[in-house]
Amino acid sequence: MNNIQIKLNGEWREVEISPGMRLLDLLRDELKLTGTKEGCGEGECGVCSVIMNGHLVNACLVMAFQAEKAEVLTIEGLKQSGEFDPIQQAFIDIGAVQCGFCTPGMIMAGKALLLQNPKPTREEIRRGISGNLCRCTGYEKIVEAIENASKR
Amino acid sequence: MSYKRIGKRELRRDGKVKAEGKALYPADIYLDDMVYGRTLRSTIPKGHFSLDFREALKIPGVLGILTAKDIPGKNEYGVLLKDHQVFCEHSVKQIGDPLGLVVAETEKIAKKAAGMVKVRYEEEEGVFDPREAMKNSAPAVHEDRDNTLFHFKLRKGNVEEAFRDAHVVVENTYHSESVDHAFLQTEAGVAYWEESDRLVIVASTQYPHFDRSEIANSLGLDEEKVRIINPAVGGSFGGREDLTLQIHLGIAVMKFNRPVKIVYDRKESFLAHCKRHPMIMEYKTAADRDGKFLGMKARIVGDTGAYASWAVNVLRKAGVHATGPYEIPNVWVDSYAVYTNNPFSGAMRGFGATQPAIAYEQQIDEVARKLGLDPFAIRRINGFKPGSITATDQLMRESVPVEECLKALENALKEMKTDKELRKEKGSEKNTGMKKTGKGIGLIFYGTGYGNGAPDVAKARAMIDEEGLAHLFCGASEVGQGAKTALTQIPAEILGLKPEEVGFHHEDTLTTLDAGTCAASRQTYSMGNAIKLATDALANRLVEEAGKILGIKDSSCLSIENYEIFHKENPNQRLSFKELAGRIPEEERTVERSFTAITTEMDPETGKGDPYWPYTFSACGVTVEVDTETGLVEILEGVLVQDAGKAVNPELIEGQMDGGFTMGQGYTLMEDLQVIRGEIKHTNFTRYLIPTALDTIELKKIIIEDPESTGPYGAKGVGEPVMIPVAPAILNAIFDAVGIRIKEIPVTPEKLLSVIEEGKHGGKREAEI
Repeated sequence: MNNIQIKLNGEWREVEISPGMRLLDLLRDELKLTGTKEGCGEGECGVCSVIMNGHLVNACLVMAFQAEKAEVLTIEGLKQSGEFDPIQQAFIDIGAVQCGFCTPGMIMAGKALLLQNPKPTREEIRRGISGNLCRCTGYEKIVEAIENASKR
Repeated sequence: MSYKRIGKRELRRDGKVKAEGKALYPADIYLDDMVYGRTLRSTIPKGHFSLDFREALKIPGVLGILTAKDIPGKNEYGVLLKDHQVFCEHSVKQIGDPLGLVVAETEKIAKKAAGMVKVRYEEEEGVFDPREAMKNSAPAVHEDRDNTLFHFKLRKGNVEEAFRDAHVVVENTYHSESVDHAFLQTEAGVAYWEESDRLVIVASTQYPHFDRSEIANSLGLDEEKVRIINPAVGGSFGGREDLTLQIHLGIAVMKFNRPVKIVYDRKESFLAHCKRHPMIMEYKTAADRDGKFLGMKARIVGDTGAYASWAVNVLRKAGVHATGPYEIPNVWVDSYAVYTNNPFSGAMRGFGATQPAIAYEQQIDEVARKLGLDPFAIRRINGFKPGSITATDQLMRESVPVEECLKALENALKEMKTDKELRKEKGSEKNTGMKKTGKGIGLIFYGTGYGNGAPDVAKARAMIDEEGLAHLFCGASEVGQGAKTALTQIPAEILGLKPEEVGFHHEDTLTTLDAGTCAASRQTYSMGNAIKLATDALANRLVEEAGKILGIKDSSCLSIENYEIFHKENPNQRLSFKELAGRIPEEERTVERSFTAITTEMDPETGKGDPYWPYTFSACGVTVEVDTETGLVEILEGVLVQDAGKAVNPELIEGQMDGGFTMGQGYTLMEDLQVIRGEIKHTNFTRYLIPTALDTIELKKIIIEDPESTGPYGAKGVGEPVMIPVAPAILNAIFDAVGIRIKEIPVTPEKLLSVIEEGKHGGKREAEI
């Protein structure tokens, strides 16, 4: 057991971690930030996507100790003063949500994309979320929602 | 008829909570003092086993290991035949069969201990090909049952005569593979005791009330002592109809008296739930010189693996749908469900109606090509219309918009880019290089509901509480399709409220009535009908009371809106729901109604009868590009036309269409479990490929409305039919591109290259007249 400092959703925190703990376990099991999901445990499905130091990562592939001094943004940190992030709002308005299990990761992938490329083309959006699987929507409304958010 | 709420693109009720990551799935639940379970699973497909867990029990933190002898009730379950064991007793029938459950203080310890359990096997020879399994000499999968567990027969006219008299006869055998639902939320659940000795099981399901009866049976508890909570469901597609971890959780709670949690990893999820039935479909079709079908013969063998699950119903549905949405005077169909030692098959989107479409829609394409007929023309000649008689002699009395679907598809395809434009965009030349493009279409029908006379009942309770607020109670599962939203549009329409103003209580068996399963595309139709009946009765009671109080005898003068009932001409005369609730006893403002779908049992020798109602129609067209060097098939453009009767919420239907098209695309081109001697080789997303955002297209979606008089506001279900025409459209387009008939899906690049190679040597290339 040892402690790490992590800036989580805008707030510096000191958290206890154990050997072998993944960032995903830290978020879910320890901090009960369960918006970040687990779907495959090997970086293929993207439902555990979070933004770490400005980059999209799979929290199942990052060890907790690697998050030392890192800035981590999860789905729970997107709402600002009670207002949905434009991507969240676009997902709601456009109906890009079905079963919802991929939704937090998908929104984080969209967020990471827009941070780096505020006006992406549809092709760039598709590439940006290509590491995130969705079994319900065929991605169509998700692409539309991210494009819509980029114009808000 | 104009509606305020029906037909509107109402936003999903669960959109916000899901978009902020607050929707609670079973794995998100953590309870004090909770322990964890890890399932021991068979690694061989058939044989006897014994367990030695002395070493595993020594690990600190292990509470115990549960096996068959710890089951308090009956060691059996299964949606139709009780042929599953909760934990295998002495022998296993498939890889992945549950042998026991390790329970430990942490997930990590449980996993470690599971790895230390020694399993000794005496392996026996299994059977992995259903055609072999049907032979008398084959080893029995279940000692007390025949391997062929079901045979469905459809007999109409004289099919041999039809073949004799035909101008054209085509004949082929098609194979479809086993695939996985690949919902993103793996199986997970927690269970605990609550007050009054009630056992609570929180796990994702499509049918909480049925689960309760099965769980109670195996736990030796009365049903009232079992409560199922079905929180957010991360996709289902048929894969959550059979139980997986629910009974295991219950046994562990009863044994250790602590809350228990089980979460499957992806590999275990692949091993634990059912697959789509692989089918071998031998087809022969006859037509006259004008393209009118004279006869069709089909023999369909479905591999249900080690357990029946829904095999009987799936193969029956395959048999009933074997001839497609076409009038055919002479029909002979045999469909069989067969046990093998492969991973068990069960329900998956389309439920037995999906596979035969691959065969009959290619047969019709073959006939059309032989006669030089346009693909639309031949479907128009033979397609159902109101008044048509099906292969089971069922009358298609209304809401049969085959022509409307074809017309919409034809027009949309005309608007699509020409091959030349597409190739210019892609930078490839017209059929001169290695990349060839082609177009294909598919047309299908799908019968809603359980079918064959099975009691298909949905129950709903509508109420106004003492505050005047409206509530709906029903056990319908929200699996992502939008049930919460579409189903509350109905009471919202009747009561003049916004959908989100109607309290929708559906996740808990303690407070809801049995809705029937969330499957067979039946919730909007069956549950919607029950909800409409209950809410109409509730509204009538409110109006009656308001009329009495206001002294208005003619109830048609009264309107209901925004929590009030008022006189249409004289709006000053009004009463609020709250005032009315104060005047009407609670039991009279709580109304329960049920709806029973129309279905009759078919004749066992001929298949005659009205097995399903209503039928929903769907048509799809695609342009593909086939790279003859790499074997890759790319979908360039696609159109999906979906009959909905009346679209309760077009937004949700479009969502189903996008998802169904994509699932159909994966089924046809990508998804490959590689089941070899009963072992799934592809148990992760690195090897089991499902479509990503880079594989999918911007699908053109057209909804056709032709209201069905027995549906709520005319609505029919769409969840499954959206997927079914996709595979045949793609396969017909591949033929159009390269002149090769694909008889086996998935069309992986390796497979396509090998058939192209064979075609070069004159092997499988189809002759065209």
